[in-house]
Amino acid sequence: MMTAVELPLPTPSIETEPFWAAVQERKLMMPTCNRCRKVTFPPTVACPACSNDAFTWTQMSGRGKVFSFVVYHRVYHPAFKDKVPYVVAVVELEEGPRIISNVVGMPVEDVQCDMPVTVVYEEVRDGYLIPKFTQR
Amino acid sequence: MRDKYAIAGTATSDLGRTGMDSLALLEQAMRRAIDDAGLKVSDIDGIVCRGPDDVYTHHQRMGARLGIDVRFSTSLDNGGASQILAVAIACMAIEAGLCTTVITGYGRNSWTRTHANEGKRVKMELTPDDQLPKEFAPEYGYFGAPATHALGARRHMYEYGTTREQFGAVAIAFREHALRNPSAVMKKPLTMEDYLSARYIAEPYGLYDCSLVSDGAGATIVTTLERAKSLRQPAVIIKGFGTFNNTRGWIYDDHMIRTAAEGSAKQAFAMSGISPKDVDTAQIYDCFTGMVVAQLEDYGFCKKGEGGPFVASGALRLDGALPTNTSGGQLSEAHVEGMLQVVEGVRQLRHTYPVERQVKDAEVALVSGHGGNTVCHSTLILARAA
Repeated sequence: MMTAVELPLPTPSIETEPFWAAVQERKLMMPTCNRCRKVTFPPTVACPACSNDAFTWTQMSGRGKVFSFVVYHRVYHPAFKDKVPYVVAVVELEEGPRIISNVVGMPVEDVQCDMPVTVVYEEVRDGYLIPKFTQR
Repeated sequence: MRDKYAIAGTATSDLGRTGMDSLALLEQAMRRAIDDAGLKVSDIDGIVCRGPDDVYTHHQRMGARLGIDVRFSTSLDNGGASQILAVAIACMAIEAGLCTTVITGYGRNSWTRTHANEGKRVKMELTPDDQLPKEFAPEYGYFGAPATHALGARRHMYEYGTTREQFGAVAIAFREHALRNPSAVMKKPLTMEDYLSARYIAEPYGLYDCSLVSDGAGATIVTTLERAKSLRQPAVIIKGFGTFNNTRGWIYDDHMIRTAAEGSAKQAFAMSGISPKDVDTAQIYDCFTGMVVAQLEDYGFCKKGEGGPFVASGALRLDGALPTNTSGGQLSEAHVEGMLQVVEGVRQLRHTYPVERQVKDAEVALVSGHGGNTVCHSTLILARAA
């Protein structure tokens, strides 16, 4: 008998836990430097731009663009067997940070570099949400 | 340090599907390199090597296998840039008076560790499980080195109009070289039709854009030029080296299309007094086809954005403007994280190959190493001793 392999969930670190907790509330929150206002992600002890160590978690607009992307055809993990072809992208948020995500809601062949996107929240399993992006 | 040090010996292990342990592969390459130089194991007084990532104090294991105590010994961790950096560190250690004769090398049983038998792949990732990312990757289905590099290839295509056929020209040129190398893993010709019709792995990369999963090791003996000249092989001079690291990461700024090769090249050309037009053969870290195109631009062999037309012109072939990866590279010889590029650079400058493999009148070779999450780079410029 085949046992279904579950989709992997992220394993938050002490530093990223606030990010993932906010995602469950459908918010994209990232640390913003109290001095130079640069948004840094993933989090660091002090700001990589100005070395100030006071941050405030602030909500991002959820808007950005696709910097680059690939289309997976090969199955690397059995849980993605029925997901191929799917898009993994580097999304550049309006506030600056670039993050890895999926572009969803459109044919994979229509995805383009520099295409404007906005965040959507998709359940992986068991009610756990992760941020993905769709064309805007 | 220009012209003070040399590579006096070099060798590879068996390549391909060996069933051997990583450490055994490197021991085999090291012992062959020592023989190649005409030295005894006891002549070695320094070890600089990079182990598979899951081996603690790898250099010590190699000393134990060789049966020697040494003055200077360390492992390094700069990914695929480590193999050239090891040669640079060897020169620096000799310069500092810490040792006189250093063995460097790298080996990994990538095929054996991912396959249970001839046909069955049992493991996808070469990276030890505990070093794989735990977030911002698995939940998105983001796995494996091909996708990371394909992100860069896609952006290069978008910005400069680079095509899959141009990437294919890289794979085909290196396959032609491999067919002349009896040790190379890949034995069949590759046509553009084969390249374009192969299955996609992480689009835009298909099967033949990706380097091999193969076992192998390589080693070099670094000593003073004066000493090397008294040994068995034609001495190959270390003209210069360089290194640069886009440590902030692959996805930052334009690092995906303007690699750390640019900064590394600047240092290596300055130290060696060599410029791109002086280079007779290049041995470029070819984890994926697109990385060759980007590095050729970053080294100044062509302008930024013109790497696609440059490789499509036939430049990389044995009779081309810049014969590159003349043993077949990681795409067609074996993937040993840049180590075999160092070996091939040395061998071309010895002029001991049969004529069908020899880059005609090769006097200067440029070798590149790249890795460490795709942002660490090192360069070695070698020349034939007068």
